[in-house]
Amino acid sequence: MNTYSKSREEFARAVKVIPSGIYGHQGPAEGCFIPVDAFPMFSQRAKGSYFWDVDGNRFIDYMCAYGPNVLGYCDEDVDAAARKQMELGDCITAPSTKMIDFAELLVDTVASADWAFFAKNGNDVTTLAVLTARAYSHKKKIVFFKGYYHGVAPWTQKVDYAGILEEDVCNNIYVDWNDYDQLERVFQENEGQIAGLIAQPYMHGNFQDNQFPADGFWAKVRKLCTDNDVVLIVDDVRAGFRLDLAGSDHYFGFEADLICFCKALANGYNVSALCGKDFLKNTVSSLTYTGSYWLSAVPFAAGIACVEKMRRLNLPKLLQEKGEKLRQGLLGAAARHHFDLHFTGAPALFYLRIADDPTLALHQEWVAECVKRGVYFTNHHNHFLNASLTDGDIAETVAVAEEAFEVVRSRHPLE
Amino acid sequence: MKNLHGTDQRTMAFINLYGVLGTLEELCTLDGRAREILGEKRMAVGFQVSNGPCATLTFDHGTCALSEGTDRCDIKLPFSTPEKFNGMIDGTVTPFPSKGLTKVRFLTKEFIALTDLLTKYLRASEADLKDPAFFQTSTTLMFYTIASAISQIGNEDRIGKASASYIPDGVILLSIQDGPAALIEAKNHRLKTVKQLGTQPVSARMEFGSMEIARDLFEGRRNSLACIGTGEIKMSGQVPMLDNMNRILDRVGLYLA
Repeated sequence: MNTYSKSREEFARAVKVIPSGIYGHQGPAEGCFIPVDAFPMFSQRAKGSYFWDVDGNRFIDYMCAYGPNVLGYCDEDVDAAARKQMELGDCITAPSTKMIDFAELLVDTVASADWAFFAKNGNDVTTLAVLTARAYSHKKKIVFFKGYYHGVAPWTQKVDYAGILEEDVCNNIYVDWNDYDQLERVFQENEGQIAGLIAQPYMHGNFQDNQFPADGFWAKVRKLCTDNDVVLIVDDVRAGFRLDLAGSDHYFGFEADLICFCKALANGYNVSALCGKDFLKNTVSSLTYTGSYWLSAVPFAAGIACVEKMRRLNLPKLLQEKGEKLRQGLLGAAARHHFDLHFTGAPALFYLRIADDPTLALHQEWVAECVKRGVYFTNHHNHFLNASLTDGDIAETVAVAEEAFEVVRSRHPLE
Repeated sequence: MKNLHGTDQRTMAFINLYGVLGTLEELCTLDGRAREILGEKRMAVGFQVSNGPCATLTFDHGTCALSEGTDRCDIKLPFSTPEKFNGMIDGTVTPFPSKGLTKVRFLTKEFIALTDLLTKYLRASEADLKDPAFFQTSTTLMFYTIASAISQIGNEDRIGKASASYIPDGVILLSIQDGPAALIEAKNHRLKTVKQLGTQPVSARMEFGSMEIARDLFEGRRNSLACIGTGEIKMSGQVPMLDNMNRILDRVGLYLA
């Protein structure tokens, strides 16, 4: 069973000089480390599907750095390309032509892409997408689906979040996922005022079973946006390339006007991309939007190597197969101990929930027991698969999950 | 109150009545001096705030209980606006009873003595807090005031209502280890603080590791996110309930600072 004395020591050091020790989704608060002593805080190294924490514990990692690890940590092909570019230069006054190569590759790979604009994080490109929609349409309002996550810029947050002004979010309209009638009503009530609709390709919000679009939903949404001159933005930061290398809009049979990528784009090298239709290219050209490191060459080289390898591997098919094996293994282990485990969303980025207990406490107990035994699940966020995950890893995961179910069942015997 | 960050006088009045004056219930339980002040007296004081809260504090043989409405009060204090009621709490407005004129001496003697004692705990001096027993009582009373204020802000404050709108139905157990506990019941996005624990199932729990940690958090000397990481705050269950309650908790400080 894992122990984390070194992690605790390092966290105590961290809180003295870093707000909340580890901030954001990788930290214990937002990351829902429940109980906190079941989880490691800091890593030492990573390779393939594993990371090792500072106490030397090895984890089969189903968070994949919350998505970027798509081929396996320290993938040799991607790292070699990055090293080769590093020898030539990275952040240079005049950008490398690797930028053009990468844009051409994305235009060739992503079905709805006529161009690509690069930045660093998903938040950079979702914000650019909203700016673009407003600049193009000269309208203010943006429609969101409840349960969304589009980053942390003020426009993505809610009125009660610290530091957020009502003015930051007063043009946001929130509708229920998969409720086309409600969406249509909102469009009617705000006729001529909606600049864009931003959505993830399916509902992979936290704390809830993930939901695919209802039959015909996206086709109707696409038409509604077209008819009302509303820019349709797909935030594919989380799901991008794991479902379909041509974009998750392509997977669900429609075309976005703008599509945002990050996580799986370069196997951990920091680059994000907004791709879009030709009619929005001049609008994006007119925006004042840039950053010190956005045109650095190393992440472009890594991104090219990553996309090419994902294409060679037929990554979505590979992850679908691995995810399906994992799904069957976990559901079987749960059933043997009479737990109602829900495995929802795409297998490549599955979401887990033990549905026997609406308070989620039982689920939290089980996840903690898995983590303590070296399988890194998280409580209330979708997980991610990577290409290096082996059948042996899946078998080990299922065995750990089974043991964890057994422990939890012994604490909560059936009546 | 300077109406910072969208705070408003009406919500403040709800907090003052249910959160601040409501804590007289616990004061009478925790401090023998409060019981001595009241002696064997029985008196019900009603507060009726136009466009605001309406409740009665009933004192009876050293106990205190807060109840809704003013139907059964001996003394009734009407306030034409929430600002006037808040002024009474701040000591800038002298109320005039519409009922119970002959009992007004209770207000000027026992009631004032009780609220002065409560203020001593809720606005404690550093010197007083060095006494462990005082520290314990002060922090306990502060806990109940804050727990009650959470519901008032979630129900009345414009931004607080937005947070409450994301809280699903259920019960939050808020507690200090080896100290006080209260329930925040959520139903249809309305909140109710229950200071007497029952047997109802709890959907989410948040526990402060000690009275010292709780006090530091209440007074802004520590950050709750860091404390979750160090294990000094424990949470479990329906995290969205806690997350949104914490956003309301952030606004408690704006009102009670």
